[in-house]
Amino acid sequence: MRFMKPLLVFLLLLIYSFFCWLMLRITLQYIPVNTDVAFLRIKQEYIGMLHYKVAFFAHVFAAIVSLAAGFTQFSERLRRRYPKMHRWSGWIYAINVLFVAGPSGLVIGLYANGGWSSQLAFCLLAVLWMVFTGLALSSILRRDVAAHRRWMIRSFALTLSAITLRAWKFVLVAAFEPRPMDVYRIVAWLGWVLNLLVAEWWIRRSGNRGKK
Amino acid sequence: MKFQLLYFSILLLVAACNPSQPTQNQTTELAEPVEEAPEPTTPPAAAATVEPVVLPSGDDKMFVGPFVAVDYDENRNISYSNKITLAIRSLENGIVKGYSVVAGNSRPFEGTYTEKDGTIDATASEPGDDKYDGVFTFRWQRGSSTLTGTWKANNTKLGVTKRKFTLEQRVFRYDANLELSDSGIAGIDLYNTLRESEGDADMAEILTEDAEKFNASKVLLRKADVENMHKGDLEVTRNAIYARHGYSFKNRRMRYLFDSYVDWYMPVSTDVSRQFTELERKNIELLKRYEQHAASYYDSFGR
Repeated sequence: MRFMKPLLVFLLLLIYSFFCWLMLRITLQYIPVNTDVAFLRIKQEYIGMLHYKVAFFAHVFAAIVSLAAGFTQFSERLRRRYPKMHRWSGWIYAINVLFVAGPSGLVIGLYANGGWSSQLAFCLLAVLWMVFTGLALSSILRRDVAAHRRWMIRSFALTLSAITLRAWKFVLVAAFEPRPMDVYRIVAWLGWVLNLLVAEWWIRRSGNRGKK
Repeated sequence: MKFQLLYFSILLLVAACNPSQPTQNQTTELAEPVEEAPEPTTPPAAAATVEPVVLPSGDDKMFVGPFVAVDYDENRNISYSNKITLAIRSLENGIVKGYSVVAGNSRPFEGTYTEKDGTIDATASEPGDDKYDGVFTFRWQRGSSTLTGTWKANNTKLGVTKRKFTLEQRVFRYDANLELSDSGIAGIDLYNTLRESEGDADMAEILTEDAEKFNASKVLLRKADVENMHKGDLEVTRNAIYARHGYSFKNRRMRYLFDSYVDWYMPVSTDVSRQFTELERKNIELLKRYEQHAASYYDSFGR
C-alpha cells in the first residue's frame, strides 16, 4: 500500500491539473476584458455599475491564482526542501484571498443569480474564505503550525469550490436535467458546504492519527 | 497531499466534463446543414434585388397548407412536409404572377393559365437562379377556398424532386394575441420529433409547459420570468414572436414545431425583423441572452 501512494498523488495532481486547465479556459474567455461574453451575458443589468464590473474582473483573474496553492502548499516534501517557496507562495495566496479574490467574491455574491438563497451562499463562502485564510496566516505568524494546517485545509477546501461547484452542476444536469436556476441555487451551497464537511472530517481523521 | 487525495477521488467522477465554449455570436436562426435549407451564403441585399415581387401585399390571395414530398430520396435527410404559403398576386390575360414562402425560402413565380367555367389551371415557374427553384402546376376554382397542385424541382438531384399540396385560402394578419397555449406543445421532444426514424434518447429536448407560458408579443418579460426556463422553452417563446409575424423558419426544429402544432401559424416572409414592436424587440434580446447562456453553460463545466 505504501508504494501506491506516490502513484495516487501523481494521478490526483494530473486530474487537478486538468480541472485547473478548465478553469483557466473559463478565465481566458474574459481576455480581452469584454462585458458581453459568457456569464456576463445574463448580468447585463449589473455590468453598468462600476463596482460590480471591477469586482467581477478582479474575481475572475485573482481567484484562479489561488488554485496554484494546490500544487505546492500541501506537499510535505516540497515544504521541507523548499521552505522559502512555501512561505512566498503562501503569502501570495493569503494576500490574494484576503484583499482581492475574497472581497471581490463578496461583492459579486451580493448580486448573485438565483435570489437570496444563492446570494447568502456566495457571500457566506466569501466571508468564510477570508476568515479561514486570515486565521491560517495569523496562526503561522504565531508559529502555531498545527492550527495553521487546520485553517489552511479549510481555506483551500473553499478555494476548491471553484471546481466542485462547476463539477456538481455538470453532474446534476447530466443526471436530472433540472431547471437552470434551480441547479444554480443548489450548487451555490453544495459547491462548498460539502467541501468543508470533508475538510473537517479530514482534519479530525489525520489529527487522531497523529496522536496515536 | 493526503488531503487532495480525497477531493480528487470525488472529482474523478466528473473527469469527463466538457470545457465550456464561449459562444458570442450565435445567430437566431442557425440553419442546419440539411437538404431543404436555402443557400445561407446569399447576401440579403442580393436577394432583395432578385425578388422584388415577394413583398407581401394585402391584395395577394394567400393559400396555406402542407407541402408534401411525393418523389424523394429516402436515404437523405429531407423535410417530408413543410407548411407553404402560396400567394397569387395577379391573374390577367392568361398570365399568373405570385410567390411562395416555404422553409425559409421566398420565391416569386410567373406563368400562364387557362380558365374554363371559373376553374383556373396554371403552370408557373420560379426564376431558376436558386438551387431549389422549380415549376408549380395548380388548379383553383374562382370563389373556392381550396387550391391544389404539384411542384416539380428543376434540379433532379435534389432530395425532393416533387411535392403536392392542397391549400386553404387564408388572410394573413399579425395579431399579438395569438397564443401557443392551445397548441399542446408541452411534452414534445424538440430534437427527435423531426426525425421520423429512430429516436435518440440522449439528444432529447423535451418542451415543458413553460414553452406556452408567456406571450412575448404582449407581456414584457423580466429576468425573473426567464432565468429558470429551459433552453428549448426559451427558444419557442422567442420564436413565437417571429411566427406571429409570419416568419418562415429555416431552422428545422422551429419550422417543424410551428408547422405541425400551431394552427394559426402562416409563413409569409423570410425577414420580419423590421416589423417587431418595441416590446417584442426587448423580449427577443432578453430571451436570446438566456438561450445563448444556456447553450454555452447549462450542461458544461463552467459559467
